[in-house]
Amino acid sequence: MDSLDCGCSRRQAIRSLVGGSLLLPGIIADLLAAEQASDAADPLAPRPPHFPAKAKRIIFCYMTGGASHVDSFDYKPKLFEDHGKTLKNGKFLSQPKWKFRPHGQSGTEVSELFPELAECVDDLCIIRSMKTDHGDHFEATLGIHTGSVTFTRPSLGSWVSYGLGTMNQNLPSFVVLAPELPYAGGQVWASDFLPACHQGTRIVPGAEPIPNMKPHSASPEIQQMELGLLEFFNRKHLEQHDSDPALAARIKSFETAFGMQQEAPEAFDLSKESDATLNLYGLERSSTQGFAWQCLVARRLAERGVRFIELIDTGSSSGHNWDAHADMQTHLPLAQNVDRPLAGLLKDLKSRGMLADTLVVWTTEFGRTPFTEKLNAKGREHHPKAYSSWLAGGGVKGGITYGTSDDYGIEVAENLVHVHDFHATILHLLGLDHKRLTFRHAGRDFRLTDVHGNVVEAILA
Amino acid sequence: MVSKTKRVLLVFGLWGSWNLPQLGLSAQLSHQDVEFFEKKIRPVLVDHCYLCHSSSSPQVQGGLLLDSRDGLLKGGKSGPALVPEEPDQSLLIKALRYTEKDLKMPPSGKLPAETIADFELWVEKGAPDPRKPVAVASLPQKPNYDFAEERKFWSYRLPCQSSLPKTKTRCWSKNWIDAFVLEKLEEKNLSPGTPADKRTLIRRATFDLTGLPPTPQEIESFLQDASPNAFDKVIDRLLASPRYGERWGRFWLDLVRYADTAGDSADYPVPQAYLYRNYVIDSFNQDKPFDQFVREQVAGDLLPSQSEAQRWQQIMATGYLAIARRFSVVPEEYKHLTIDDTLDNLGRSILGLSVSCARCHDHKYDPIPTADYYALYGIFDSTRYPFAGSENIQQQKDFVLRMSPAEAEKILKPYSDQLVPLDAELKRLKEEKKALEKGTPETEGADAAVPGKRTLKEVKAEIEALKQRRLPIAAQMPILEAAYAVADEDPHNARIQRRGDPKNLGDEVPRRFLQVLGGQDLLPAEKGSGRLELAEWLTAPENPLTARVLVNRVWQHHFGKGLVSTPSDFGKRGSPPTHSELLDALAVRFIQSGCSIKAMHKLIMMSQTYQLSSDGDPGNLPRDPGNDFLWKFNRQRLDAEAIRDSLLMISGQLDLSQTGPHPFPHASTWSFTQHNPFTAVYDTNRRSVYLMTQRFQRHPYLSIFDGADPNTSTPLRSSTITPIQALFMMNSPFVHEQADRLAGRLIATQSESQKRIDMAYQLVLGRLPSTEELHRSQAYLQQTEEKLKSIEVPAESRQQKAWASYAGVLLSSNEFIFVE
Repeated sequence: MDSLDCGCSRRQAIRSLVGGSLLLPGIIADLLAAEQASDAADPLAPRPPHFPAKAKRIIFCYMTGGASHVDSFDYKPKLFEDHGKTLKNGKFLSQPKWKFRPHGQSGTEVSELFPELAECVDDLCIIRSMKTDHGDHFEATLGIHTGSVTFTRPSLGSWVSYGLGTMNQNLPSFVVLAPELPYAGGQVWASDFLPACHQGTRIVPGAEPIPNMKPHSASPEIQQMELGLLEFFNRKHLEQHDSDPALAARIKSFETAFGMQQEAPEAFDLSKESDATLNLYGLERSSTQGFAWQCLVARRLAERGVRFIELIDTGSSSGHNWDAHADMQTHLPLAQNVDRPLAGLLKDLKSRGMLADTLVVWTTEFGRTPFTEKLNAKGREHHPKAYSSWLAGGGVKGGITYGTSDDYGIEVAENLVHVHDFHATILHLLGLDHKRLTFRHAGRDFRLTDVHGNVVEAILA
Repeated sequence: MVSKTKRVLLVFGLWGSWNLPQLGLSAQLSHQDVEFFEKKIRPVLVDHCYLCHSSSSPQVQGGLLLDSRDGLLKGGKSGPALVPEEPDQSLLIKALRYTEKDLKMPPSGKLPAETIADFELWVEKGAPDPRKPVAVASLPQKPNYDFAEERKFWSYRLPCQSSLPKTKTRCWSKNWIDAFVLEKLEEKNLSPGTPADKRTLIRRATFDLTGLPPTPQEIESFLQDASPNAFDKVIDRLLASPRYGERWGRFWLDLVRYADTAGDSADYPVPQAYLYRNYVIDSFNQDKPFDQFVREQVAGDLLPSQSEAQRWQQIMATGYLAIARRFSVVPEEYKHLTIDDTLDNLGRSILGLSVSCARCHDHKYDPIPTADYYALYGIFDSTRYPFAGSENIQQQKDFVLRMSPAEAEKILKPYSDQLVPLDAELKRLKEEKKALEKGTPETEGADAAVPGKRTLKEVKAEIEALKQRRLPIAAQMPILEAAYAVADEDPHNARIQRRGDPKNLGDEVPRRFLQVLGGQDLLPAEKGSGRLELAEWLTAPENPLTARVLVNRVWQHHFGKGLVSTPSDFGKRGSPPTHSELLDALAVRFIQSGCSIKAMHKLIMMSQTYQLSSDGDPGNLPRDPGNDFLWKFNRQRLDAEAIRDSLLMISGQLDLSQTGPHPFPHASTWSFTQHNPFTAVYDTNRRSVYLMTQRFQRHPYLSIFDGADPNTSTPLRSSTITPIQALFMMNSPFVHEQADRLAGRLIATQSESQKRIDMAYQLVLGRLPSTEELHRSQAYLQQTEEKLKSIEVPAESRQQKAWASYAGVLLSSNEFIFVE
């Protein structure tokens, strides 16, 4: 009877009854009417998960362009040893460009590319056996976000918003902090066929993060007068018409918008953060740029009940992301941009007792080839067959690694985690069964994991 | 409420358990055998194998079915999976052991040794299996549908005209549509609604047909017109307005996922795409018979024409096929996906069928075998799609020129004569560059000089210089009139792509129509792609779907919901019609009228059902909460285009001209890549249907108000209500500008505040204010001016600001945003 706890699957249960029988049509109609009314009134109202879960919210950090696994979180001693040797495909093994050493009590190896994150390794669950379906940025970026590399589908964040609603009606349920457009543009946070209220609200770091947030009226009092007059007109109108939830919902949407206007600037205002906190993230006071700003704002949004917060470090413009074809050294400034802020975020969440119920995810669209076309080439190409991601916090075992790639990091050797499995596990950690989180569209029930996905039980705390 | 659900579920739960298959304790199997299978074998098969290897798998892998003993014995592509009593020879066991190089199952990882031992033991014992034999599914190319039986499904039967139902209620119906509606209302014991007042009606009809509000003069003249055909005249006037095609053409553009860019990873602009958009709008305005409209879009280039202008129109019409999505960085290598997108769209938009579900496997619900999919696929594989440009080839190719190739050649020759040698040289230099890059170890430094050879740096510089010489010539090349349209090429049948993989080819399938709809073949002598025939099959009177699907769409856009609530799915997973006889009667009438959509509007709008008030008897609510049976009109939120266009119209800013091409950058400058894709927003005060639409990036305004998804067919817009929309009304510069302009209009036209308020009400809401509203409005204006004074706004701008503030509130009101 678990399924009755969630509005969506409950509705499906009712629908499937209607499909199957003429039994008790009256009761069924009543049930559906009640569902529809409550949905129309507030599709973002908080909904209970399918089963109790530790993680209540998620901060999803996405590195654009394909971060190299063998240079960061997947230690391959043989790749150092066999540098320059030729593979069967005629390509040359290329040693990692950064040294690795064990860290923390767990002794997990992390490269010198991420010195600060290495200090947090006992909180990380590093997956070294990730695999995706496509080797191009556009498709693989859609893959890690929507589960589909070809067709437009709702984003992971939209599915979570749809499944759990939001804890704070004064802020969007799914926020994307992205300085630039990623590959595939806004499709990365689109709700597609899910109701539009579940689409990600993209926030560009800077002075006005949410569009149309700045009051346009001559003064705050005048805006309140305007909203008062609007309320008067709308109430009069409502009185003359039957109790249509859409009319009431629109009245409420102005209240929420007003609330957002009040609350969102405060959420984005870092002036009351202490020097110690800013220092933790490596953020200069009054800066509104950079990944440190994104991470600190993410913590503040998490505190205020935003369900899904995605942080995208850079965009699709070549030369500015992890797409290091020419020279792996371009990873260095990108890693420096995120290393301290991510470590700061983990430490800050932990010290506030929030890490236990916040899931932090770090991923990219694919890894980079451990081999190169030419001997001693400086760059690496796209590598979808094996790469690394990590999880931390709510419901995940810390200080472990899961899955392995082969000696050189070319293929997954053990415990493959396909993107679908990754998604199924993330949903599971939030209390959602990826097989039951469905939406009826164009004649069939769709889900994030299509017909795939297994929860990686071994990493659950 | 929950207890009710639980009760219902409980009843079903019991039913479920009654229906559970009895454990088949057949004579040969001992109780222990059955128990062993049920405890040790079946759960593993279900958990780890059935997803890909059972008759219910979405796509059976390797042709292997493990949900019956027969399936195991028969095996798949690699041979029988099971040799009873011989575990070492059974592929099943080999796969589980993970010892064979290319045969490791399940793919997610090796199962525990204990489980593998259970399977070995089971096979050793002869694999006793209590499962009932499952019909082993045939290979995808051999459909196992009984088409005669399948054609009995409601949507595959020809629509037929039934006699008018007898109803008890008198004097309610205005035309025959109402009889069908009333019959259902009486049957469901719902009380029929009362007519809407004239003001509501003209506002409804005007938004409905044109997407704009009625002007105060139009409202006044309708109110004054006491003749019995007053509403007739309104409908005729609206249908004759060019604004009609801009509204209803938009619905078609939603369906065919119109965009001005190609959808490849760099989202190349298609400056000629607008020709198809304008063709759609014009066709609606001309009331082009719908069957002709479909034929032109599918095969306009192959249809006879009376004039050059008509020929060109018909070529532009095939823009419908041309705008199919392009995929990836190298769209030319993904034609199979572009064809899939074509078939998906054609199936949904015209037939209301999810044809593309049959790409990888026979359709699971509807009688569409994979072979049918590839029968249609062959038609489009024999069709040349234009190429809009991509990361690697940054220019257009295969667009259809208006002039003859010979004429074009003549005009372009002077330029190509100059360009051809330059391009050849460029190609040579690029090869030299590549060779240099390959030959030089990067660590040695790319610029190291090699005696007798030019350095990489020199070659790169030369390439740059050559490009600079080429650019001015290329930029001067005349842009010939061309359409983003298709043409026939190399007619051939396609082979089945097993599991949708173009590299894994199966049998060839002759080009033909869907079997459930007749399966008509091409004539043996046919020399074309088959599009011309397909166009005929789609629109033939014996096709049961096309007319039904279309009239349902027309109904849906009038009422907010179709008689079939799944407008692009008339298959088994779709919803059956609420009024099947009415739907059929409309389809029959539609065909009889020569497929006139305007006649359909008029018929529907002249019904009492259309003219009902949106406030019905609340007593009906519990019995029909969704108003499926039409006891009232559905209140509808204005869609994105209607909101923006109306705001512009009321403020006096709306530009009613149709547009030509968008101000895209010149083709000679294109260098878009997946890293730097094309992205732009072009401002205009023209109607929203003319906004430049990109595949990957939704227009920032349209996305706030649920505009169509330019990536995929949008048969039905959602009407969400979000705080982001409210913020747009409260704070966006656009709304403030319109409010400000409206205030200017009010102040300039009227001198007294009461007259200004009246005018604002008439422009925005189509009525005069009540006394209470008038007083509240006057008080508001006064208070606002005082407040403005208190914050030291200069006296000369206070009046304008106060009225703008007031106008903004009216424009944000529910009464404006909703149509009753």
